[in-house]
Amino acid sequence: GQDVPVRKLCELQAGERCCVVGTLFKAMQLQPSILQEISEEHNLEPQPPLSKYIHPSDELILEDELQRIKLEGAIEVQRLVTGTIFAVYGCEQDDGKFLVEDHCFANLPPPLPWNGPSADRFVLLVSGLGLGSGSGESLLGTQLLVDVVTGQLGAEGGQSCAANISRVVLAGNLLSQNTQSRDTINKAKYLTKKTQAASVEAVKMLDEILLQLCTSVPVDVMPGEFDPTNYTLPQQPLHRCMLPLASAYATLHLVTNPYQADIDGVRFLGTSGQNISDIFKYSSMDDYLEILEWTLRAGHISPTAPDTLGCYPFYKSDPFILTACPHVYFCGNAPRFQSKLLQGDEGQRVLLVTVPAFSATQTACLVNLRNLSCQPISFSGFGAEDDD
Amino acid sequence: MEDELYLENIDEFVTDQNRIVTYKWLSYTLGVHVNQAKQMLYDYVERKRKENSGAQLHVTYLVAGSLVQNGHTCHKVAVVREDKLEAMKSKLATIASVHVYSVQKALLKDSAPLYNTDYDIVKTNLHNCSKFSAIQCAAAVPRTPAEVPQAQTTSARAGSQPPSDADAVSAPVVNGHAPSAAKQTSQQPKGIMEMFAAKAASKAHDANKETKPESKEAPGVSAASSKPPAKSSIMNNFFGKAAMNKLKVNSVPEQPKEEKEAVKPSVSVAEPESSLNVVVEKPGKKTESVKSQQKDKKSKMKRVDKSDNEEEREPENLKKKRKRIKQLQSDSSDEEDVPPSPAPEEEKAPSPPPVPALKAELEPVPTEVSAGGRKRKRKRVLKSKMFIDEEEGCM
Repeated sequence: GQDVPVRKLCELQAGERCCVVGTLFKAMQLQPSILQEISEEHNLEPQPPLSKYIHPSDELILEDELQRIKLEGAIEVQRLVTGTIFAVYGCEQDDGKFLVEDHCFANLPPPLPWNGPSADRFVLLVSGLGLGSGSGESLLGTQLLVDVVTGQLGAEGGQSCAANISRVVLAGNLLSQNTQSRDTINKAKYLTKKTQAASVEAVKMLDEILLQLCTSVPVDVMPGEFDPTNYTLPQQPLHRCMLPLASAYATLHLVTNPYQADIDGVRFLGTSGQNISDIFKYSSMDDYLEILEWTLRAGHISPTAPDTLGCYPFYKSDPFILTACPHVYFCGNAPRFQSKLLQGDEGQRVLLVTVPAFSATQTACLVNLRNLSCQPISFSGFGAEDDD
Repeated sequence: MEDELYLENIDEFVTDQNRIVTYKWLSYTLGVHVNQAKQMLYDYVERKRKENSGAQLHVTYLVAGSLVQNGHTCHKVAVVREDKLEAMKSKLATIASVHVYSVQKALLKDSAPLYNTDYDIVKTNLHNCSKFSAIQCAAAVPRTPAEVPQAQTTSARAGSQPPSDADAVSAPVVNGHAPSAAKQTSQQPKGIMEMFAAKAASKAHDANKETKPESKEAPGVSAASSKPPAKSSIMNNFFGKAAMNKLKVNSVPEQPKEEKEAVKPSVSVAEPESSLNVVVEKPGKKTESVKSQQKDKKSKMKRVDKSDNEEEREPENLKKKRKRIKQLQSDSSDEEDVPPSPAPEEEKAPSPPPVPALKAELEPVPTEVSAGGRKRKRKRVLKSKMFIDEEEGCM
């Protein structure tokens, strides 16, 4: 309501109902901390990586510019993560904690005008190609994908559909996690002198695949968690010297992660999935699509950066804040394909897509720009045991 | 009797050579459109089956269609063996396409050999991989080297490649200025370079010898030093451009080289003296200009090595121009990097226009350039002097 006063934390008076806006901090017991690791007094072993770091004893603390205050009440501690900006409505109690009666987020950002195409045009979203993994199962799937996109597979009808694909976006993890082996650092130099990093072969393979794609469709390549680029967000594009064959073509676009672009008048925004998986680790939300929607409502792509996710220390402005609502919002390397069309109060229409990892699911996503619909497309060969 | 011909071909591949004939393999081997290849395979299978000649054929099919799964439609594309074809077709709600994927004599246990066949044939035809496909993309044109720096300047990470004169903001400013500044500053270094013009010719030969010259190199270099215009007329595309660029580059990198840390000039100086392999090992540290200069040297020797390759693989060179590490091919293309620097003045254009244009400009430059090559050797001695001069020039 309009009559509710908005207070800063330092102006709070006990017992007065008001609204406070601030950043959330979640004190988590299980959060990996470097200080704990090196603490000699505790004689603790380094904490093994867990899939989720939530714990019943986690507490929420709200911070504004000057102070912080503990929150309790009608608020789901497990769902929220550090770094979220939101407003709480309630009153301060005598013991110094803030009793929350209600809370709300920034909600969807203002909508963008729609300039989408009137005919069917598609964008193919793929992520997690996972090259260099040493296992060849997904290679045939990758080849089939390339063949469909370049128009070699399929009858004439299928090929003409594929001709309407106006862009292919590779959303991260082009290389597999296996290429990240750091054995060479631990082994003696004389043992590793002649070996080359596993990623070299994988990048060569990637170059060939990209060359085939680039000859027939514009491709945007986003780096991911296991790709040879920097670790902190925002990840810089892969360097074109690694892709000599493909980068000769103007249709290859090496782009950053997160990535925002206007494709055929439709605004795309997406990441390779590190932000969503980080939130997944630190909150009780399990569904990638749910987390994706939640980040959109909270108005920030990655609230947990730089707390638990590596991020460049921006101090003047935060580029991860959503200022305008994209038309397609995607994240890569999700465990499975999901999509949802979200309608906002101010007329926003957003298609949320979680793109599954291709190396595991052999599935890519085809987004129809005309009506913002999405369809998974999966590829398969046949194996020794044919189970249909 | 073309029909019979290709049928015989397929027959030969399948039965005699015991190959796995996929539609893609057939398309590349016979040089036909993929759809036609699929049709040919289908005809072949039909005929063979009708003949009932006893030779067993196994066929795999590609099935694409959509099926309803968990409430939403899912598109599926699958390669299936013949025996599973009907099962797959019945699973799909709507079938978008079915066609023959491959024909082979032996029964396949899994699809890995199919992948290997396709992989091999694609790898050998990597640059024509869209030739026989059904979709053509007008935008997918390999960039000419002249456009590459443009693209680089517009990209977020401009890197240190010599961008066109437009880019004058970041670290590549040296390179950026160098090409544009080269024109103006080329006058000053020229005075010094002229001093070594006499020695340049001999030095050129020396340098060439040091850099594992082949006979072509020496004449190439001496020609460069003495009559670049003539050279430009003789070698129109790569060689010509390379020569032009070499001349240009040698003058250009002088300034940026000096402007860069002292390490680089000394390194670059050392380079011409040592084998050019040094250049290969230190690509990362060099600025583009420095590298291009060494590449010039390298190009001299490598060009001869790869002369035949270069001619045939010109597009490859163009494509590889941006590769710093593999300097083998990038030499000439790299030198074509430099034309963008004169290009702004002379409007970027393929070889003929820049060549005559460059010719005029390079009249004085050639001596200095070839001298520049030698100058590099001299650099050690006169580095300090030239440092000042060129700094002034670059200012």
